This record gives sequence, C-alpha cells and structure tokens, in this order.
Amino acid sequence: MNLFTIPLKNLRRKLLRTAMLTLVFSAGIISVVGLYYVSATVGESLEQKLTAYGANILIRPHSENLDVSYGGFSMGNMSYNVHKLDMDTVHDGVMSIGYKDRISAIAPKLLESSSVNGKEFAVVGINWIEELKIKSYWYIDTADHEPHGQEPESLPETAEMVVDGLEHGSEFGKYDIIAGNTAAKLLGLEKGRETEIEGKTFNVAGVLAPMGTDEDRLVFMDITALQELKNKPGEVTFVEVSALCSGCPIDDIVAQIKLSLPDIDVTAMQSVVKQRMFTVNFVKNLVLVISGVILVIACFMLAVFMMASVAERKSEIGILRSMGYSRAKIFCLFSFESLVIGASSGLAGFAAGYFTAVKILEKMELTDGAAVHFEPAHLLLSVGIVCVVSIAASVIPALKAARTEPASAIIRL
Amino acid sequence: MLKVDNIYKSYVGSGVVTQVLNGVSLEVNRGEFVCLLGRSGSGKSTLLNIMSSLLDADKGDIIYMEQTFRGMKRCETDRFRREEAAMIFQFHHLMPYMTAFENVMLPFLSGLRPAGKEQKTSAYEALAKVGLAGKEKRLPSQLSGGEQQRVAIARAIVGKPAILFADEPTGSLDKANGDAVMKILSDLNKEGLTVVMVTHQRDYAAYAHKVVELSDGNVDSIKVKSA
Repeated sequence: MNLFTIPLKNLRRKLLRTAMLTLVFSAGIISVVGLYYVSATVGESLEQKLTAYGANILIRPHSENLDVSYGGFSMGNMSYNVHKLDMDTVHDGVMSIGYKDRISAIAPKLLESSSVNGKEFAVVGINWIEELKIKSYWYIDTADHEPHGQEPESLPETAEMVVDGLEHGSEFGKYDIIAGNTAAKLLGLEKGRETEIEGKTFNVAGVLAPMGTDEDRLVFMDITALQELKNKPGEVTFVEVSALCSGCPIDDIVAQIKLSLPDIDVTAMQSVVKQRMFTVNFVKNLVLVISGVILVIACFMLAVFMMASVAERKSEIGILRSMGYSRAKIFCLFSFESLVIGASSGLAGFAAGYFTAVKILEKMELTDGAAVHFEPAHLLLSVGIVCVVSIAASVIPALKAARTEPASAIIRL
Repeated sequence: MLKVDNIYKSYVGSGVVTQVLNGVSLEVNRGEFVCLLGRSGSGKSTLLNIMSSLLDADKGDIIYMEQTFRGMKRCETDRFRREEAAMIFQFHHLMPYMTAFENVMLPFLSGLRPAGKEQKTSAYEALAKVGLAGKEKRLPSQLSGGEQQRVAIARAIVGKPAILFADEPTGSLDKANGDAVMKILSDLNKEGLTVVMVTHQRDYAAYAHKVVELSDGNVDSIKVKSA
C-alpha cells in the first residue's frame, strides 16, 4: 500500500465508469492506430504500384538548341554540342550516389530507325529486366515463348515478368523483339514468327496490348543487339530511372546524379513525381489530422471526467489535506488516476487498432505487395504518447484538486 | 504546548463581511483535554481549524512548541498535520471505497514507499483500541454510524499524534454512541494525548480539564477543572 493505492481503489470503486471511459478513450486510439496502419500499408502498396507505373527521373545527353531561320523562313531547332551517353558511365554514375539504395531501376534506351521487314521503323533498344521493372503495366501477348539468344547467366534467378497477366519466369533473349500493337499491324508481325531487322533474323516474342501511347508504334528489342546492329557499342539515347519510395527525396537524388554526371541532363519528371507523392502524402496528412482531432477530443473527455471527479471528491481531498498530504501529493493522485486510464486505453486501443487494421486490409484486399508490420517501438511510442496526453488532460483538474483549501472542503459538507 | 494569540478571523460572502473571531487568546498545555464550548455560530469550529492550521487567521498567531504558524511555510504546516496533529470531524469522512483497515492506514500512504509491517500493526492496534478488532475488512457502508466515527478516531491516532483536534465528534451520533466516543477520547487523553474538542453539548464538556466558552467570536469564560 502506498500513495497510488487511493486512486487505484477509487478507479475500482467506479469500475463501470472507469471501464466506459477507458472504452471511449480506447475507441479514439483504435481509430488512430487503425488509420495509421491502414494508411501506412495502403501507402506502401500504392507506392509500389505507382513505382511500377514508370520512371521518375530522366537522364538525357546534354545538348544546346538553336532556333535557325533565314530570309524569314524558319528552319526549326538545331541541336549542337551533343554529348553522347554511355551506358556504363550512366549506370556507374547513378549507382555511385549517396541515395543509391533508393534506386529501384535504371532503364537505358537506344532509339534508332531501322529496317524492319524492309520498312523503316522506329526501334527501341531496351534492357528487358530493367525495362519491365518500370513497365509492369505492359500486357504482352506472347507465344509459347522460348528465349532466343538468351545467355542464362545474364538474368538474375528471381527475374519474373508479367506475361499474359500471369507471373511466370519467362525471359526475353537478345534476339527477341516485342512489337507495339500498331507497329505489329503495320509491319505484319505476329507472335512466334520470325522477322528480319537490318538483315538479321529476330523472333517476335510478343505483341503489346494497345495502350494508346507512343509505345503502340514502336518495336522493342534488346539494347545490346541494337547497339551491334547500329555499330554503336555502349551508346544510349536516354535513360529512365525509377526511384520512388517512401519519402523519397527526388530533388536530392536528382542533384546527386547531376553531381555524379556533370555533362549530362538529369531532370525529375516533376508532375509525375509530385502527383505520386501528393497522393501518398495526402493520405498520411489526412490520417495525421484525424488522429490529432481524435486525440484532442479524447483529451477533453478525460479532462471533463477528471474535473467531475475532483468536484465529487472534494471532501476526500479535504480529509487528505487535513492529514498532511501536500498539494503535490494530491496533484499526483489525480494525475496517476488519469495515467492509469490513459495507459490501459493505450494498450487496449493499440492492440484493437492493430487487429482492426489487419482485418480491414484483409477484407478490402488493400495489401497488394505490402503487409502490416508490427513494430514494438510503435506500441511503446503510442502508449507513451497516450500517457503524456492523459497526464496533460488531467493537469487542470489535478491543479484544481491540489489547490482545494482543506477547511473549505470539509466545512462545505 | 499550543498558544492561541489574539486571533481575528472574518469571512466575506456576497459582499458582506462577517466577523467570526475577535481577538481570541487561550493556551493548551501538554496532556490537557480542552473543550471549546459555544452555540452555533460562536466561532468555535473556525478557531479549531485555525489551531490545526487548516485555516489562516486574519490577524494574530498560533504558537506550537515555540514555533509560530505565521512563519511556517505550507510544507511545514503540512508536516505539522502529518506528524504532530490529527483531526476528527462531526462526519467521519471515511473513504467509502476503502475498508476500515485501509482507512486507518491512510496517514501512512502519503508517500511512494509502501507501508511497512510496523505501520500495518499500528493500524490493527488502533482499530482494536477503539473496539473494532475483527471488523478491519468491512467497508464504511457495512459499519454503524458509531463504528464509522470510531474508525475515524483510529485513523487519527494511528500515527501517534501529540495533539488531537476533534470538531463535534459526537454531533452526528446518538447518546450511546456519543458516550462511547467520549470515553475513547477520555481514555486517549489519560494515556497522554492532548485533546482539543469543539462541542455544543455541555454534558461532554465535563470530560475536559479546561472549558473555553465562546460567544460571538469572543472568549466568554475559561474554566479550569481542579485536579
């Protein structure tokens, strides 16, 4: 038995009222914890999905443009002082930055005009694995495809791509091509057939489903194969880099790549990045605001309860003061009572909130590629915050209790 | 032991000043049983509250063992009430959610350190002294009015105070229970406890060595019983 026996006994006496208050306070914490976990998991899932929808940093060769006109006739823009991009230089440059662990894909491209089935057509050389990391929205209609010219050791074992909407370990080889939907029609390319590009035979590994983008009119092939065909070893036209992740500092990543590759243009695809980040941050900020409102309401509720408790127990306070209990001790009694309610609400609310979040995510199937992670630190932090909030809520009532004049409290009765 | 020196006290309510005490002086010696007698509104309870440091006087001072209350800090008056003095009231003011034993333990629960075995023994002894042995685990609601007041007395004496202030301790009791309470107080006084009691019942003033009669905030008379 010590000082805290009194508040504990009092809480037990008013068990129903204490339970109700704890329940209501817990409900607030359930909302906060539940919303946090749902938003964090959905945000993570969203980011993964958004990341899969393309790159957010563009690396291009540096060039100067000049608007040329003569005798009143415009001759359009003339590019000069063009620096060629080298695949290895770009790759090494990007992977040497401080934020290299935030880079999820480096997809180089060589854009050339080539003779396909005797027709001049735009052909894009790509790195199959890197490209498919950022083009997961591609729907490729493949034949019973076997890789042509594939060197097995050049692909990681874990490489998997979405083919026919199903995940399997299909791989594209050096002499495989994929045709955009319009390109396939114009060039008469069919999946599983062979075709000639610059006099060399290639296998049509698949045809892209129509997407309504530039990609419909392009033919995609392995970048090294195109470099060989065009005698441009290591050369790339531009490189797309995907670096979207939770709280990714895109501007800092761009600045670091610029430092690493000084003669090359590096630009953040701002609109895309901002839109993605806005979506993710909006959800997080919304949760933050709602959590704040819930906590403030819970705080006021507890303060009102404590205020009523002080008014109701004025004679008790008077008696304790007449026994020599100091003002500080009286303050501690009421703060401790509030702390007990806060701590139990925090523990119960966190457990129930976590469970609720898991159930919501399961029922609504929102966890594509993301999972709810239980962090003991989150539990400690949540309970800690709730304890601080509950003590803060009891400050005014506890001060009122501590300042009660013993004689007036006793005479009053 | 305790000297009341020219105490003045007034209350202000709704803009009206009511003078309750007008320069009251008296002395309480160690081991004495002092009775403050008077009609309702004579200022006896106010005087008792000032003597026990629950209330501050407007003017004048209380001197306890050569120390003036006016010079004391709040923590020192708290310590006075915790270590030197004890109080009982007309209404027992027991914590309704605590057993008789737990109520008696209250003076020992003002710290973070758990109450020791010795303190628990003192509580059992105090309850036995007021005739409540065997009823330690009962809640106040399971005790009669007289028994509840006896628990309040046990709570007051458990810390072995030097002086006990009793404000109308029999005021809410019937004759039999009132007599029982007075006998307990008389016995405690005989064991050496200084008692200052407020009452309006002249019968009970007979237990006191010194009877101070108050009227309209003034000391009307001080009668000392010869030994």
